[in-house]
Amino acid sequence: MTEAATTQAPPRLGRLGLQQSHFKWLLVVPLIIFFVIFFVIPVGLIFATSFNPPAIGQVSVTAEFTLENYLRFFSRSNYLMAAGRSVLLGVVVAAVTLVVAYPMAFVIANTEHPGRNTALLILVLAAMQLDMVIRLYGMMVILGDNGLINQMLMGLGLIGPEDPVQLMYNFLGVVLGLVQFSLPFMILTLMGVIRGIDPSLEEAARSLGASRRRAFFRVTLPMSMPGILSGSLLVFALSISSYIVPALMGGFRVGVLPIHIFQQVAEGARFQFGATIAAILFLLSAGAVAIYLKVGTRRSGGLT
Amino acid sequence: MERRISLPMLILAIAGFAYMLFPIFVVVLAGLTAGEFLTFPPEGLSLRWIAAFLQSEKYLSAFFFSFRLALMTMVVATVLGTAAALFLSRTRMVGRNAMRAFFLSPVVLPGVVIGYSLFAFFIATNMGISRTIWGLWIGHILYSTPYVIGTVGAALAAYDVSLEEAARSLGASPWRAFRKVTLPNIGQGIQAGSIFAFIVSFGQFEVSLFLSAPNSEPLPIAMYNSLRYKFDPSAAAAGIFAITLVTASVLLTNRLVNIRRLLERQQD
Repeated sequence: MTEAATTQAPPRLGRLGLQQSHFKWLLVVPLIIFFVIFFVIPVGLIFATSFNPPAIGQVSVTAEFTLENYLRFFSRSNYLMAAGRSVLLGVVVAAVTLVVAYPMAFVIANTEHPGRNTALLILVLAAMQLDMVIRLYGMMVILGDNGLINQMLMGLGLIGPEDPVQLMYNFLGVVLGLVQFSLPFMILTLMGVIRGIDPSLEEAARSLGASRRRAFFRVTLPMSMPGILSGSLLVFALSISSYIVPALMGGFRVGVLPIHIFQQVAEGARFQFGATIAAILFLLSAGAVAIYLKVGTRRSGGLT
Repeated sequence: MERRISLPMLILAIAGFAYMLFPIFVVVLAGLTAGEFLTFPPEGLSLRWIAAFLQSEKYLSAFFFSFRLALMTMVVATVLGTAAALFLSRTRMVGRNAMRAFFLSPVVLPGVVIGYSLFAFFIATNMGISRTIWGLWIGHILYSTPYVIGTVGAALAAYDVSLEEAARSLGASPWRAFRKVTLPNIGQGIQAGSIFAFIVSFGQFEVSLFLSAPNSEPLPIAMYNSLRYKFDPSAAAAGIFAITLVTASVLLTNRLVNIRRLLERQQD
């Protein structure tokens, strides 16, 4: 082999290229096997379970087929409302997160100073990587009935001591928590798109007489649309999937799909109906992710 | 060319950063408060809750359980993810983008559903690991590997494959060319990826929910279980250690790879 290398380089390269193309599959086969066994098959099992007749305490899949669980889901207002609440929550959170994240992404994208830019990115990344339960602990200390905001309002005499403002254990609290959770994802998605917009376009608009505000709303913002769309879809998918935020910030009073899954499975041992809700949530989320992949021409890099 | 940042935009951005970071700051304060719980204004600082955490069987064992789980996860996720990223960077096959999306999907799909699926799968197959560290390990590998693929993929995108080809044409074996040329070039990307894998496993909640049991409880689950009933400042003290760990890893990552490039890489 080494002899051939010094004398006949070109044909050898071709041959090795072919060998390499077989060899390189070995790199990905372990992960494919892992994903098939521990991701595709288990999720497939859940879908199969959702078509089994309900049997309390029975986990395994059987050959019996029924649509009973799905009929139950779509005929009970309780579950339909939960689905609707999940979707509404996803939409509201995506909209609020967008409004909060856009200026942040804009400032990061336009901070040219490398050190300052890196420092801002480190903050975003650290917030994103930090355990959500810890961040929610902070949120609860701030927003609770005896929380910092209510203590401050009482201290100022704006509200009575027995009359705290309900900032959590309701829909509002869940939204506030999910925005906190989603911000880094939205920022990272928007940032790349905003940086890709040529500033000379905005300048051209200004030199033609547009005010700064008008140039922003007519040029920069519309050109951020791909990022806005994919960021919102990503945040929607993340929000409807979250269990921990509705559990802690909603205090189980905001019944969304992930909460119902846990209740059916862990508390009721109703595995088939739990699987049905899981399948519906999975499809909703996967649908949003699929559209996200379709529209995402430019996306945040390594992490999503 | 630089766009000037207008004042209203700057104010909104600062408010946004405050919203993002203030709860974290509050956890640090709550863990260092001298009182029974955090009040406004704070009652003063003390280390009593840090001491309580260090003596609490529940949080300390959960902290080390999470640490061990994250290390185990990191090893496998780094190997599987790096290999897959190498494949994805070298193949031109149809559907490689779909394959990439498939490998990244556990991050964005509902963790509760993935956790429940694994739980049911372990029981149905009689594997006996449904509520042990091994079951959690598998769930966490699924969730952490995408971060390795993304980070190593970014390092590979910045790497010129022709360097390896040059080594090959000079007679190096494929393995030698990879080890001597490619690996040193992407090594820091791999290290950064493994740090990410560690840290997302350490903070993972949703996938763990169905897979943990009272004697195999990662820190987020332990904190959640106590938070449902009361505000325990020693949980916040545990949070301080986790915050330190995450901050240190992100700073370390920043030394290893260019964070700006990692986060802004345009995908093909």
